[in-house]
Formats: sequence, structure tokens, C-alpha cells
Amino acid sequence: MGVIETRNVTYTYPGAAKPSIVDVSLNIEKGEFTLITGPSGCGKTTICRCFNGLIPHFYQGEMKGETIVAGLNVSEHPIYELAKHVGLVFQNPENQLFALSVEKDVAFGLENLGVPREEMRKRVDWALNLTEMYDLRERAPSELSGGQQQRVAIASVLAMQPEVVILDEPTSFLDPLSAKKIFEVIRDLNRKLGITVVLVEHRLDLTARYADHIIVMDEGKVALDGDPHEILRSEEARLIGIGIPKATRLYQILKKDGLKLGNTIPLSSEEMASMLTEALKDG
Amino acid sequence: MSVFSGLKFRKVSSPIHNLDPRVKFVYVCAIFVVAILFSEMLPLVILFLIQIPFVLLASVEREWLRSMRGAAFLATIIFLTNIGAAFFRDGYVLTAPSVESAVAMTLRFMVLVESFSVFFLTTSPDHLGLALEQTRVPYEFVFAFTTAVRFVPVLAEEAQTIMDAQKARGLELERGNFLKRIRNYIPILIPLIIGAIRRSLELAEAMESRAWGATKKRTNLYVLKMQRGDFVLIAITFGILVIAIYARLFVRIPTVNELLRSLP
Ligand SMILES: Nc1ncnc2c1ncn2[C@@H]1O[C@H](COP(=O)(O)OP(=O)(O)O)[C@@H](O)[C@H]1O
Ligand SMILES: [Mg+2]
Repeated sequence: MGVIETRNVTYTYPGAAKPSIVDVSLNIEKGEFTLITGPSGCGKTTICRCFNGLIPHFYQGEMKGETIVAGLNVSEHPIYELAKHVGLVFQNPENQLFALSVEKDVAFGLENLGVPREEMRKRVDWALNLTEMYDLRERAPSELSGGQQQRVAIASVLAMQPEVVILDEPTSFLDPLSAKKIFEVIRDLNRKLGITVVLVEHRLDLTARYADHIIVMDEGKVALDGDPHEILRSEEARLIGIGIPKATRLYQILKKDGLKLGNTIPLSSEEMASMLTEALKDG
Repeated sequence: MSVFSGLKFRKVSSPIHNLDPRVKFVYVCAIFVVAILFSEMLPLVILFLIQIPFVLLASVEREWLRSMRGAAFLATIIFLTNIGAAFFRDGYVLTAPSVESAVAMTLRFMVLVESFSVFFLTTSPDHLGLALEQTRVPYEFVFAFTTAVRFVPVLAEEAQTIMDAQKARGLELERGNFLKRIRNYIPILIPLIIGAIRRSLELAEAMESRAWGATKKRTNLYVLKMQRGDFVLIAITFGILVIAIYARLFVRIPTVNELLRSLP
């Protein structure tokens, strides 16, 4: 069983006419880097809220089916208990920082859990170092750039040492350069610390290369689910209108025009470049 | 943004800023009590002067002067009321004692303003929140306080953005009579309020996700520990109280008039 598993989850927000996600069954393995993508309004944020119990505890509404995270059925455990296992980083960096200094914010979750001070200090410093925010630890959040704020948000989730970190479009408020930095931090969490990462993202150009697993959603349903290379080359993915990496598109077009290229589909421009060099050498 | 720049608390470090807010608060209260104890001019002058070293040590002279100037209007009213009352009471004459007593009343007010402003000018909201928390104020209140401080500059910036956007669409704020002018602000207030509500929902969601309310026994990254400076301030406070009570009970306090006349 995966670290996150949903079985036939259908959820309707209170007062909404129709469900926002319909019959979603998916499985995310421990240690995986999973990308969730799909057009705006397709239910990505809603599914993230299911993963840490905000649905059904915070947003009441009507939920059918089951969500099991780290072996816990989210309907049966309060959010604060799930928070020890799943960290959620939100889209807007500004509205998830409450304290008057960076380190106090990173400590917020640990304070809530009643972690002793010495232990807390250690974990806060560890998280700040990982996100390269240690030198700014005494700054007020309003003195930071959006990218730095988002790194604080990631640090504050990391300090709670969850098995799974979920990030809901963490870079949509950021410039491309800060976004790249955030993606590198996220990649390191997965590669170096072995944390299971679920990243909701449109910018596949920058992120597809890190993914082990892609889930494409459309109109509240899981449309495609599987290996990134398989999914990104598929006609369905293109029709749904997800941001297929330019390298992958280029590969498809060249291949159709009869250029002899290898069979592994490139997900990043680097991979594409080396493939082209190869082809030019041969040709 | 200049209008709102005063709302931000700048982090500064000085011997006064580093004092335990609880001790500072006790000091302020002691000054408060002593100021009420005396209605003579001389001790109130002394009380006013005693605080100036604190202002200098904390190097908040400019901010302090600003708050003194802010209090000047009320101080003038207090002075005029007192002197006017004495003028009518004494049969339309101004006597030296009644002028002195009016000055004393005004000074008393200034001392109160002064000590509170020294407290707030030298205590970061963070520090204050911590002090509240460690005096067993329920954490919900402390959190509401620090979050409000955190979001004041954010909301101020948002208000400015909305104002600029609406002005760019032709909204004229300074147009019309009084009522019309108030109505002009509606297109600014509504987006601001809606934005604040949306923001508070997102904040609540983020708080929940970070284990808000997990345990009643919350811990804290920081702990307030009394240091040497705090003990010095306690001693000073105690000294002031003892001297004041002694003077009140056993010393006849000369008026400034008498004091001046006794000089050679
Ligand atoms: N708090 C909410 N209350 C009611 N409906 C909502 C709420 N949040 C999202 N929805 C609706 O649920 C659907 C899916 O939204 P969402 O999960 O935010 O999509 P995405 O994150 O993929 O853009 C949308 O139709 C949206 O209008
Ligand atoms: Mg979303």
C-alpha cells in the first residue's frame, strides 16, 4: 500500500451544486516524486486538501470514499495528528506565515505540538539550513521576497518532519528564477532526504524531469496516471491541454518528420540537447 | 507608502529594548502610581526628567519627541481647563499656586504618556506577545495580537494598491461634501474587506495544517529570562517607590515658587 491512497473519493463543497472531485482513486508510493497537473479548476487543490484532512474536517461538505495517508484514515484523525505525517505548502506564500520572525514561523507547528525547546531549536535550525534561510532567520516575513517567503513556508513544514510534503502550485506567485530555486529545494527533499513529494504544478518544463509519477486531472477526475515519459508523449495529455515540456513537444514533432532519434522521450531541454547532438553525429 | 511607514516596528537592539517587557511594565505602573500620588509640581518635574535617560539609552529620541508632540494638544487642554477653573474659583485672579497646580496636572499627564511611550517604543510586538504568553494570557489572544501586528503593513499596502487602482479608473476621493467624501471610500473598502476575509480563510487553513490546537501544553521557541539589566530596573523601580512613599508621608514638599525664592 502506498503512503497516500484514495479509494473512490467524491467530494462536494458545502453549498456547491456538483462535486469538485469525482471518483478519484490513486496511489502514491513512499519516496516517490509525484506531479499533479491539469487545467485550472480541475480539482487539484481539492485533492490536496483531502490528503491532510482539511477535507472533510475544515471544509465540511459531503465526502464519499476513503483517503488513507501514512496508514491513517483521514476521516478518523484530526488535522493536527495528520500534520505530523503530511505537510502542506500553499500557493500564496504571504498567507501561510503568521509570526513576526522567520524562525518563529518555522517553530509554529512544533510549538503547537508541544515539542520541548532544545529539540525545537535543533529542528528549526535544520529546516532553515536546508532551505537556505538560516541567515535571514530574524527577519520579519514582510521584509522577504515571495520566493524567500515560500522557502520559509517549506521550512516550517519540514521542521515537523513529515513523511510526505505536498506543495500546491508553490511558485505561481513567483518569478521564474525564484521558482527554479524552489524546485531545486523540493528536488533535494526528495532525492537527499527521501521525503515523498507531491507537487501540483503547471510548469512541467522545469519539473517533469524530477517526476517519477504523473497524475493528470481533468474536470474533477483522474484522466491519466502513470510514468511521466509515457504520459507526456500521449495524445490525451496534449488534448487536455497540460503544459507539456517544450523538449518533449520538439521531440514528437521531429520524430513525426522522420528524424531518427532515440526512443527515450526527453523531459528537459538538457536531455533534448544531448539527443540532438547524438543524432547530428550519426546523421 | 510614506503614510504607512510608521506602522512597521523596526528591530533595534539597545539595553532598554533587551529588558524583560514584564519588568518594564511593572516600572511603567510604578511611575503611574507615583504620578498619581503627587499633585505638586516639583516631584512631577523630577518624574518627567527621570525617564529621559531611558529614552537616550534606547536612542528613540526622535520617536519620543514625536509622541510628546502628539500629546501636546491634550496637554494644552488640560492646562487651560485647570487654569480656567482656578481663575474663576479665586475670583478672577491668577495666583502663583494655581498656575503651579495647573502645570502639575499637565505634567502628570505628560509623565503618563511619556512612560507608556517609552514602553511601547522599546518593546517589539514579538517580545510583548512572548511576555503576555508567559504571564498565562490565553494563547489565542496572544496569537490574535501578533498576527494583527504582522498583517497591518500587508493590509496597508493592499489598501494603497486598491486606492491607486480605483484612482486610475477615475475615482476622485477628495470630491464633494463631507458625506460624499465618505461615500467615495466605499469602492476602496469593499475590495479591502473581501480581500481580508479571503486572507483570513487561507490563514485558518494554514494554521490547521500546522497542528493548531494539538495540545493545551504549547511550548515556545523563546523563553524570557531575567538578566542583570532587569534586576537593575527592579532595584530602580523599588527605589523610586520607597522614596516617593517616604516623601509623601514625611516630607513637606516645597512649591517651585518657594524654592526659587530661597535661592540666593
Ligand atoms: N472553498 C470552496 N468552496 C466551494 N467550491 C470550491 C472551493 N474551492 C474550490 N471550489 C470549486 O472546486 C472546483 C475545483 O477547484 P480547485 O480544487 O481549486 O481546482 P484547481 O486547484 O485545480 O484549480 C472548482 O470548480 C472550484 O470552483
Ligand atoms: Mg488550485
